[in-house]
Amino acid sequence: MRLTIEGIGKDFPGVTALDEVSFEILPGETHALMGENGAGKSTLIKIITGLYRPDRGRLLVDGKPVDFTSPRDAIAAGISAVHQERNLIPRFTVGENIMIERPPTRNGVIDFDRVHAEARKFLDMIDPSIDTRTEVRHLSVAQMQIVEIAKALSLEAQVLLLDEPTASITGHEADALFAVVRRLRAEGKAIVFVSHKLEEVMAISDRVTVLRDGRIAAAGEPIAAMTRGKIVAAMIGREERVAEMGTRNVDGTKVVMEAKDLATSFGHRRVNFQLHKGEILGLYGLVGAGRTELARALIGDGKVVSGDLRLNGASVSIPDVPTAIRRHRLGYISEDRKAEGLILTHPIRSNVAITVWRKIASSLGLITRAGERRLVHPLVEKLEVKTPSIEQAVGKLSGGNQQKVSIAKWLAAGVEILIIDEPTVGIDIKTKTAIHELIGEITREGLSVLLISSDMPEMITLADRILVMRDFAIAGTLENSHRYEPMSRAIMDFIHAGDEASPVGEGVARA
Amino acid sequence: MKWSLTHGFTMTHSVSSDTRGRPSFLAEQSNLIGLAAIIILFWILFTSLAPGFVSSFNLFALSRSLAVDVVIGFSTMVVLATGGMNLAIGSIGVCAVMASGYLMQTIGLPIPVAMALALLLGAFLGWLNGFVIVRSGVNSFIITLASASLFLGGMLILSKAQTFNALPPEIAAFGRMRWGFVSPLLFIALGIGAALIVLFRFTALGREILAAGANARAAELSGVPVGRAIIIAHTLSGALAASAGLMLVIRLGAAMPSIGQDWLLPSFLAPVLGGTLLAGGYVSVVGTILGAFLVTTIRSGLLVMQIGNFWLQLFLGLILLAAVMLDRYRSIYAERRSLGRKDAGRRSSGRRA
Repeated sequence: MRLTIEGIGKDFPGVTALDEVSFEILPGETHALMGENGAGKSTLIKIITGLYRPDRGRLLVDGKPVDFTSPRDAIAAGISAVHQERNLIPRFTVGENIMIERPPTRNGVIDFDRVHAEARKFLDMIDPSIDTRTEVRHLSVAQMQIVEIAKALSLEAQVLLLDEPTASITGHEADALFAVVRRLRAEGKAIVFVSHKLEEVMAISDRVTVLRDGRIAAAGEPIAAMTRGKIVAAMIGREERVAEMGTRNVDGTKVVMEAKDLATSFGHRRVNFQLHKGEILGLYGLVGAGRTELARALIGDGKVVSGDLRLNGASVSIPDVPTAIRRHRLGYISEDRKAEGLILTHPIRSNVAITVWRKIASSLGLITRAGERRLVHPLVEKLEVKTPSIEQAVGKLSGGNQQKVSIAKWLAAGVEILIIDEPTVGIDIKTKTAIHELIGEITREGLSVLLISSDMPEMITLADRILVMRDFAIAGTLENSHRYEPMSRAIMDFIHAGDEASPVGEGVARA
Repeated sequence: MKWSLTHGFTMTHSVSSDTRGRPSFLAEQSNLIGLAAIIILFWILFTSLAPGFVSSFNLFALSRSLAVDVVIGFSTMVVLATGGMNLAIGSIGVCAVMASGYLMQTIGLPIPVAMALALLLGAFLGWLNGFVIVRSGVNSFIITLASASLFLGGMLILSKAQTFNALPPEIAAFGRMRWGFVSPLLFIALGIGAALIVLFRFTALGREILAAGANARAAELSGVPVGRAIIIAHTLSGALAASAGLMLVIRLGAAMPSIGQDWLLPSFLAPVLGGTLLAGGYVSVVGTILGAFLVTTIRSGLLVMQIGNFWLQLFLGLILLAAVMLDRYRSIYAERRSLGRKDAGRRSSGRRA
C-alpha cells in the first residue's frame, strides 16, 4: 500500500503546526520520520492515524484520496500505530488484547480457544516465544510492543507507525524488534519509524523524512545518500555542535561519597566506589542492571542492608529521603520527570522551592511568594529556563526546560552530591548539549555528580570515570578518555564478558 | 498576552503574568465569577418569587446554615487537597456532637472545656483515618467508608441514640445571637477560612499537603514527608467536621444523634463547585465558601417557597452534575488553548529548549 501525504497543513489557535508537508510512504520500506520535539512529528502522526483532520492538503492511499474522521477509519484503511503510551489492557491476556477489536464468538459468547488460536497466528509471524495466555501486565515493555505489533497485524495493517519504539527497551530487545521490522518489510509492509536515535535510524531505515518547524527539511531521502551530519543539519538547521566540556577541576584527594561492600534491599551486592569532589562519576549499564535502584538505596528510598556508606568520610545510615536531603545534602533527579521528578500542575516557583520551604519560612513559620521568588528567580535565570514567568505550570514547559527546573530545585536545596538519572531522555539534540554543559558547570562549582545514563555518547562526553553495572553489581571501573570508539568497546566488554575479562582499548580497568 | 509571536520568549516574572502561568489560576477566577453570578441569579429569582427570602429572619437563618455548610465544605476540601476523600465527616461530626452533649449535660464540664475536648475527639478520629490510610496504603475512599460506619456505630452504642437536650442555656442563647443580620457563627466559619488560606498559601505544611496531593512520588523524592502530610490533612478534616457539628449544637441548642447524616453531598458540592480539584494538589478556599453559599441559598430558597425537601435533593444532585460537566468542558477548552500556545512558542522561538 502506498500512502501519499500531499501538502498537509494543520493550524492550532495562533500557530501553524504543519505546513505544506508532502512525502510518500512506499510498501516494503522502513521510512524514518525525524525531527526535534515540537517539529510537528506528533501532529503528523495524529493526522495519518485519524486522530486529527488536516486543515489543508490530503492523504492518498494508493492514489485515492481518503478522509479519516477517526482512528477507526485509519485502521480500516490499513494504517495502525504502535504508540509510546501503550494501548494494551494490563489485566487482559495477550490473546484477548490482540483480538479485542473483533473477538470470535460462538452462540454470542466469546470463544476463548479461538481467541488464543487466532492471536497465536499473528504472534507467530513475529515472536513465537510469547504465550497468548499471559496477562499483559507480566510482560516486559519490549514484549508489549511485540503484542501491539501483532495486534496491528491482526487488523491487517499495511502501514505500521512505530513511535519511538526503542525509548524504553534494552539493546538486545531493540535488536529483536529490528529483526521483526525487517521481516515485516520483507513481507511488503511499510514501516514508519519515529526515533530520536540517529544510530538506529541509520541502521534500519531505507529512507528518511525530516521535519523542522512544521515543514519538510528532507523528504524521503534514501538513507544511503545521507550521513549522520546531514540528518542532524536537516533537523536543527545547522551542523551538530561537538560537545566541548571544558576543563574540569576534580579534587581527587577529597572523597565525598564512598561505598564499601554495599548490599541493598533491592539485591545489590559488593558495590564499591568512590565519588570525588567536583567529579562526574558515570554509572553505565543496560536497563535492568540495577542503576536506578542503587540511586534509590543511596537516597534512603530503599535500604542499605550491609556494607558501609561514607559521606565526607563519616559512616552514615540514611533512613528516608528528607534526611538525605536535609542532613546529608544528597539529591536525586529521577529518570521519570513527569511521574517522579516534578509536580507538573504546579508552577516553577513551587517546584524549585519545594525542598527549602521549611528553610525559607519566617520566624512565624510563614513563606511568602516574594521570598520564594527571591530564591527561584536567580536560579531560573542562571539556568536559562525559557519561560514567560516562574508562575508557569511546569507541565507546560518543554522537556529540556523541565530538566533545568529539576536541576534548579537541587541547587536551591544546596545539595553537595546530586544523582542524575538519565538527564536527557526524551530531550532533543540541541537541548541535550545545553543540559550537558549545565551538568559540567555545576560540578565546576563544587557539586559532585553520580550520573546514570544509558546513552553511551552522553556518558563518554560527560563522565570523568565510568562504573559499569551488571546484575546489581559493579562489573568494573574505567577512566574516561572521552574517545568514543575505545571507550564504548571497553564498556561493552565489561557488560558482556563479565568481571574477569580484561577490557580492550584505552579504558583502564580498576575493578 | 505577553507571549509574543514575533519576539519569541520574553522573560517576565511580574505578578501580572500569573494569570497565564497557572491554568488553575485563570480557571479559578472565571470559576469564582461564574459561581458568584449563579448565586446572584438565584437571589434575584428567590427574592422575586418569595419576598420572605430577604426577611431579616430568613437572612439570619441562612447565615447560620451557611456557616455550617462552609465548614463542612472545608472539612472535605482539606482532604481533597491530598487527592484523597473523607466519607466519615458526618460520623466524626456526630461523634463530636454527642461527646460535647455528654460532657456538658451529664458530666457538667464548662462549655469551653467540653467544646475543646469534642474538637480534640474529632481531630483524633481524623488522625486515626489518616494513620490507617498511610500505614495500610489502602485508598482513603474505602478506609473512610469503613470508619464512617464504625464511628457512627460506636457513637450509637455508647449514646444509645439519646438526644442531649438539657444543655446549658448559654448554648442556645449563643445560637440566637445576632450581629446585624447574621449569626456570629458565620464569622467563625470565615475566620476558619482565613486560617486555611494562610495554611495553604503561606506555610510549608500547607504547601506540602498540596504537593503530596498533586504528585505524591515527586513530593516524596523532593524530601516532603508525604505520609505525615496526609495524616495531618485528615486530622484537620476531623477537627473541622467536629467544628461543624458543634456549630449545629449551638444552632439547635441540643446534641442530636441524627446530625451529620446528610452532610456527604454538600461536603463535596462546596469544594467541587468552588474549583478544588478532586485529583488533589489544588484547593480554593474562597471557591468553597461560594460553593457552600450556593448550596445554602438553594436550600433556603426552596424552604421559603415551601417546596419540599425531596426537591432539594434533586436540585443539589443536578447542580453537582452540572458543575462537574462544566469543569470537564473547561479543562478540555483550556487544553486546546494551551496546545495552541505551546506550539506557538515552539514555532516562534527557534531556540526553545
